[in-house]
Amino acid sequence: MAKQLGFYFDQTLCTGCKACQVACKDKNDLPVGVTWRRVAEYSGGTWRQDGDTFTPNVFTYYTSISCNHCDDPQCVKVCPTTAMHKDEHGIVTIDDGKCVGCRYCEWACPYGAPQYDKDAGVMTKCDLCIDRVNAGEQPACVAACPSRALEFGEIDELRAKYGDTAAIEPLPDPAMTRPNLVITPHRDAQPTGHGTGAIGNPEEI
Amino acid sequence: MNVHELPLVAFTILAQMSVGSFVVLGVVHLFGIRKHGHGAVDRLSDPALYAIGPAMVLGLIASIFHLGNPVNALNAINHLGSSWLSREIFFGSAFACMGAVFAVVQWRRWLTPLLRQILAGATALVGLVLVYSMSMVYMLPTVPAWNHWATPVTFFTTTFLLGALAVGAALVIVYTYRQRTTAPAGSTDAAATEAGTVTGAETGTVTGTETAATEASTEASGGVDVATAVVVEADDETRASTNALLRSSLRMIAAASIVLLGIEFVVLPTYALDLATGNANAQASAATLMTAGGAVLLTRLILVFLGAGLLGFFLYRSAARGHQRHLVYLATSAFVLVFASETIGRMLFYSSFDRIGL
Repeated sequence: MAKQLGFYFDQTLCTGCKACQVACKDKNDLPVGVTWRRVAEYSGGTWRQDGDTFTPNVFTYYTSISCNHCDDPQCVKVCPTTAMHKDEHGIVTIDDGKCVGCRYCEWACPYGAPQYDKDAGVMTKCDLCIDRVNAGEQPACVAACPSRALEFGEIDELRAKYGDTAAIEPLPDPAMTRPNLVITPHRDAQPTGHGTGAIGNPEEI
Repeated sequence: MNVHELPLVAFTILAQMSVGSFVVLGVVHLFGIRKHGHGAVDRLSDPALYAIGPAMVLGLIASIFHLGNPVNALNAINHLGSSWLSREIFFGSAFACMGAVFAVVQWRRWLTPLLRQILAGATALVGLVLVYSMSMVYMLPTVPAWNHWATPVTFFTTTFLLGALAVGAALVIVYTYRQRTTAPAGSTDAAATEAGTVTGAETGTVTGTETAATEASTEASGGVDVATAVVVEADDETRASTNALLRSSLRMIAAASIVLLGIEFVVLPTYALDLATGNANAQASAATLMTAGGAVLLTRLILVFLGAGLLGFFLYRSAARGHQRHLVYLATSAFVLVFASETIGRMLFYSSFDRIGL
């Protein structure tokens, strides 16, 4: 098996422009309602007291997220057909020739990665642009980012370079699926399970 | 309320009802044979057995409507080693097939009664494994509202509650229908009152007379008066025995449904409290269940209380006292109310979905 691939995301650089999301949609010709890469806006805040004055103390940060090609992918585990599988590069891929479209993987994945194409009646998901990768190019989302907040590569190398953090709100506890994802947290980033904010754009993700 | 998952509501409710009916019918059978013999028991329970098949098949057909791509439906059992959904489909199909084989064997009276019992026992076991698999499908770590011990407990409660009341209604309908079509006018009441006097000591002799009567009736095709008299007498005794069996079964079913109602009424507040004190997703699910004052949940609770509790109580009393005419109305309306309640409950279950993460 080749080395496991994964993503790196720098929260401190992301401006929430969604160029990654649109590049992904364009490259993969995704229908309305299917968005393999999405950008979540997480915001919250409190009041800060300065003497007799209360001033708002607010924050917002963005998280660009797609499939993390997890080491313990719940979607693969629960899929009744084995259509969902991990290939030789560690890429979690769906074989639409096997999929029954039961949408069980959608319930099981805490990242919202497997998405249903209602016209085709089957699940679809990020394949890490394996065709581009094989041609020596970057995945569409990584190539499109104007802030260079996204990187992809062998996860061991990414972790050696950037550490091993993925437990940032609004993302789930990485222990659930062991995602191949590394994040450099925003200065206001809150650890998973200790969030005080809320997703600001739920209809977009 | 959740209408997107109607195929799953139909599948889970019908499959659980089928398994429950099969198990309850088996229990009725086992208890009945000891007291009333094979003849009376088969006479009463066979039509109910044949009704389980269509219910289960209807459930399986409903489940196909859940699939976006039913062409690949056969792939759904590819992942038995790790997917509870695969196991659910596998045991669902196995239960349907084994149930069908048993129904045919029982109908044609193939094999010995003991072998038939073993086959029925194995089918019931597969059915119970099916209900367990069904509940495990929803034990997803990403969905706190489902990943709770209340899921298997509720699924099994639904199974036995619907099973018991469906069998109760089926038995009493079959019995009433038989009486109207086969019994000569006037003798119906006689059989019913006579049944009240049948005691355990007497029923031992009933089976004996019954087999003798069957032999007698085959020999007496010539229309000998004496033989006819024996047949009539034996018929009356079988009828009385069937009536006693019906009423003891209904008492058992009514008592069971009251106990199961009690379990539901303990599990629900415990579960609601767990959700309300759980993480953000659990709390969101609790909020969904209680939306607009929990009017839907309240409707479900009232319906199951009326069906299993109140009507269950009257069903028990009528069955004990021998109020023949009330039985059919009590048993069927108890079933209808509980069926409606459990269906609403299952719709709420799917509505309570709230997943961790994005």
